[in-house]
Amino acid sequence: MNALEIKNLSKFYNGFTLDNLNLILPQGCIMGLIGENGAGKTTTIKLILDMINRDSGSIKIFGKDNKDNLKLTKEDIGVVLDEVGISECLTAKQVGKIMKYTFKNWDEQTFSEYLRKLSVPENKKFKEFSRGMKMKLGIAIALSHNAKLLILDEATSGLDPIVRDEVIDIFGEFTRDENHAVLISSHIVSDLEKICDYIAFLHKGKLLLCEEKDKLKEQYGIIRCTCDDLRNISPSAIIGKKESPYGVEAIVKRDKISTGMEISMIDIEQLFIFMAKEAK
Amino acid sequence: MKGLILKDLYLTLKYCRAFLVIVVVFIGVSFFNDDSTFLSTFSIFYPCIIAGMIPSTLYSYDEREKWCTYSATLPVSKAQFVSSKYIIGLFSAITIIIFTAIVQAFKMLNTTFIPMDYLSIIAFIIAVCLVAPSVFMPFMFKFGAEKGRIIYYVVIGAACALFAIFSVNQGSIFILDNIFVISAICIGAAVIYISSWLLSISFYKNREI
Repeated sequence: MNALEIKNLSKFYNGFTLDNLNLILPQGCIMGLIGENGAGKTTTIKLILDMINRDSGSIKIFGKDNKDNLKLTKEDIGVVLDEVGISECLTAKQVGKIMKYTFKNWDEQTFSEYLRKLSVPENKKFKEFSRGMKMKLGIAIALSHNAKLLILDEATSGLDPIVRDEVIDIFGEFTRDENHAVLISSHIVSDLEKICDYIAFLHKGKLLLCEEKDKLKEQYGIIRCTCDDLRNISPSAIIGKKESPYGVEAIVKRDKISTGMEISMIDIEQLFIFMAKEAK
Repeated sequence: MKGLILKDLYLTLKYCRAFLVIVVVFIGVSFFNDDSTFLSTFSIFYPCIIAGMIPSTLYSYDEREKWCTYSATLPVSKAQFVSSKYIIGLFSAITIIIFTAIVQAFKMLNTTFIPMDYLSIIAFIIAVCLVAPSVFMPFMFKFGAEKGRIIYYVVIGAACALFAIFSVNQGSIFILDNIFVISAICIGAAVIYISSWLLSISFYKNREI
């Protein structure tokens, strides 16, 4: 079963449209949602959680429409938003008590362990937390009620590199259970590259691509050559290019390039930047 | 839902402590003042107005601290979110009604206890405690805390003006001599509160967070 199935999803705002989005996140996988500010990542997450109404399309979570008793479905979803949204006067300990009465499967011991592991103080008020600390509390909550699906909106932003690495390991660990899945959006593409099985590029409300990360690396590469050399390559092979006085750098489809040309490995960030610029 | 109420209780204890002090002071003032003075009438009803502001204060913090958005990711429905505010409002109102009832009973026992006068005052306290928040809370859930609060001030201002007009023409309007009218005021207030509750749920369900 797929953890998440989004078909032909659209949402219209004045000045922005999330246009006909299609995504499938299988169980046991992590999908990274990449996009510039305003690309539609948060809109997509809000639509999944039915916080805003969709204009067309369908969203299924574990095979069930998200409009169909979402309250029950949310028992199985752990969410960390860009702004965690805990009341500022509360301590982590009080938050734990609130969540105990909110989630049926709340696990106090797991919560305490995550607080300890992530060095989140139990008795300090939320307003005194740094941004990174706030995110860590949000992550601890999301992981302490036996969720099967994690939805993370910029959950790693604000964390220092060591904690970020630790948190990414936790997410990786989470998907070792084949019934679990993670949808994560982030500006820090290197984080997503580390842990994601699938990568989805959103640009101005449109899905540029959604593919297995390894396939992306197999399919696309980067060549550095002169402008004249580039003219000899079929335009259909070129995804995006950047010209400079010293030559040209282009993202290409490997299977459409004749042998003999040196094609370097591409990282996901480069691919996204080139594709987004080309789509402008 | 229990989680939402617990969170609101934590916030009430933290952010609404000043309200508690004001309530205690005004209930005390109402005890020591003669019934015919403006100050006595004001001090009887002011705690009710304060109690009515607690749900809007909590909602205001929820909006500012993004709890409205975060709670939408938790396994609680929008109806439960709205209900938690009405339950806290009801809890505040009941607390004020009980305290005022006790203080007024002691006050009357010190002079002459007239049951109908006593019941009249209690009925009006119930009405103010329940009707004032009932009028503005649907606006708050439809348009947000700030606009809701403006509506609240308008309602209170209009109510004060009406009371002043009727008081000038008819003396104290808070004394009734008909038990059916007194009962009708209490039942009417409860009906208005429940209707407001349902209307707020309907507004909030359609609101995008």
